[in-house]
Amino acid sequence: MAQAESSAATPFETDFWKDAKLRKVWDDIVPGEPRKTLPYKLTQEAIALYCRAVGETNPLYLDEAAAKAGPYGGLIAPPAIHILLMFACTPADDWMRSPGTVNAGQSWSYNIPARPGDTITLQARALDKFIKRERLFVVHDNVFFNQHGDVICSGRGQTIRPM
Amino acid sequence: MTTANFDALKAGDSIDGPAFAVSRESIRLFCDASLDYNPLHLDDNYMKGDFGKTNFGGIIMHGMNNFGLISRMLTDWALPAGAIHRRLETRWLKPVKPGDTIRPAGTIKAKQTTANSRWVLVDVAVQNQRGETVAAGEAMLEFPASAKAG
Repeated sequence: MAQAESSAATPFETDFWKDAKLRKVWDDIVPGEPRKTLPYKLTQEAIALYCRAVGETNPLYLDEAAAKAGPYGGLIAPPAIHILLMFACTPADDWMRSPGTVNAGQSWSYNIPARPGDTITLQARALDKFIKRERLFVVHDNVFFNQHGDVICSGRGQTIRPM
Repeated sequence: MTTANFDALKAGDSIDGPAFAVSRESIRLFCDASLDYNPLHLDDNYMKGDFGKTNFGGIIMHGMNNFGLISRMLTDWALPAGAIHRRLETRWLKPVKPGDTIRPAGTIKAKQTTANSRWVLVDVAVQNQRGETVAAGEAMLEFPASAKAG
């Protein structure tokens, strides 16, 4: 299941066309089959970059001294950090990176916060696929865990696959 | 904007978040922060093509950027009261493009007490500068019985 930990040693491929041919198309996706995932070490830098992108300013995410005195006893990531974790924990040939993949909606449940320094793992699969109004849909089923095996959050999503 | 106090909250109370100016730069920053480099968000030439019956005419913002703004609004509202953002469900209704200004808002829908805790359900939406709803959904916040504002 898990392979080598994703890290700075293997830079993230930002050209989503490069491995496009390796990725499964809708026809190949088997509902229920686990997706290949990668453990990912969440850093404070990655949390700060996410915060900047959406305008998060809460000191619980950004100010170590304030966070230490707060309810979590240290820095945490915002709940929606799974937006980053989804791509950080999947390899370059994962079909979620297929150019033209359109996000059609998401629901996420939050258990405990991710923290800087956590090694995050993902269990993911397509749960279902269907055709509606000539569009090809896949239902995603994702659960993120920390290094202690605690559930951080779980999510269900739908994407429209490129034709 | 209503203070997050479980006993005082009632259906119809509102929550709001700050406006967010969408630009090519904000979308590029979201690519870097999310590692989502789908050409939908980067490549104008690619976006000249059709997607089924849809043509976006240029790059669009990540749908999950809406999700992040709604989540920010909810946590900023809940955390000072010791409440916890437990769930968020959203769907995207219209594309958001560079030059748009979007703003999240929420309306308290219901309160529920369960065996061990207390919950608030919130209808959430994001609107653009034309008053069009670009994203909508529902959130659930937990107000543990020990929360200071309870």
